[in-house]
Amino acid sequence: MSDVARPAPPRRTLLWLFAAGACLFVLGVLAVWWKAFGTDPHRVPFELEGQPAPTFTLRRLDNGEPVSFDKLKGNPLVLNFWATWCGPCRQEHPVLEWAAGRFGDKVQFYGVVFEDSEENARRFIAEHGARYPQLIDPTSTMAVDYGVTGVPETYFIDRDGIIRGKVAQPIDPQTMTERIRELVAPPAPDGGSP
Amino acid sequence: MTLAPLLAAILAVTGSGLAEPPVIAEPLAPQRLAGEPLDPAREARVQALAKVLRCPVCQGLSIADSPSSMARAQLEKVRELVREGKTDQEIFAYFEARYGEFALLEPKAQGINLLAWVGPMALLLFGFFVILSQVRRRGSAVSPAQGGPPAAAPPAEDEYLRQVRSEIER
Repeated sequence: MSDVARPAPPRRTLLWLFAAGACLFVLGVLAVWWKAFGTDPHRVPFELEGQPAPTFTLRRLDNGEPVSFDKLKGNPLVLNFWATWCGPCRQEHPVLEWAAGRFGDKVQFYGVVFEDSEENARRFIAEHGARYPQLIDPTSTMAVDYGVTGVPETYFIDRDGIIRGKVAQPIDPQTMTERIRELVAPPAPDGGSP
Repeated sequence: MTLAPLLAAILAVTGSGLAEPPVIAEPLAPQRLAGEPLDPAREARVQALAKVLRCPVCQGLSIADSPSSMARAQLEKVRELVREGKTDQEIFAYFEARYGEFALLEPKAQGINLLAWVGPMALLLFGFFVILSQVRRRGSAVSPAQGGPPAAAPPAEDEYLRQVRSEIER
């Protein structure tokens, strides 16, 4: 059988173009999937880590006295945003109580009442106790300043007023202990964060 | 027969009485008064800005459309920033500095985000080009049969057919 050279029709070129385009598209989709696999699509980014904590002045729930963030600088600070209508906040309350008793001499603990009434918060504290002061955020805008996405959230702020991280779920004793140890660790000799 | 004895029996079994209503846990954040209201023009601006800011605890809802307590707090923050005289860009930057680009319902048209704007348009143009080329090809294939003199087949095709026939006949 002799060799017969058939010229490639333009239709075949078009098919090749289609195939190449489809391959590129599929590769692109796979790349996006590969990047997204293992990440929580509902996770809200937190951009304030390593940034100076926003300043605030809020009233204390117990005596109404103003508390200014500027006066809290110098000692590590644990800020817990909570509400009485939030079930997980109720669950984690004993952990915060325990931590305030255990680490209260090294770290300042403050609770911030989020989207709740003073009356509700007072009733809750009267029933469950609080070893650390609670602050009232009447319009909850201070929580937005801190990038809160819901309650409970616990922020860890170092002695220089830098946000070292937050836990956006009910905190457990182990996480609390580890975070506080990082917070109270002496500064690294090169001046970097501990 | 009245229902009173039955009701009394149920209450006795469940251990509750009319004098002691069951305590219902409060599942939602209580209503509270927001800050000072703004004039209608500035409030309209607040609502317009809130329409393009994403509620962090919802599924694709803006903070203007979400009834969640978080969205309520963020809406109040937008109101506060508008009251302070911040520009739209400053307000978007405020939320982006805290929640990243996630906070914007409409991502900015820059960097890799441009694909979201250019990609569909490029695909559309490609599809248009494909359809156009197909229509042209069909048009050129149909035209000889439409009454005109029959066009001669391409010589390459004839040569190919001739060779095939000779191979078959051999």
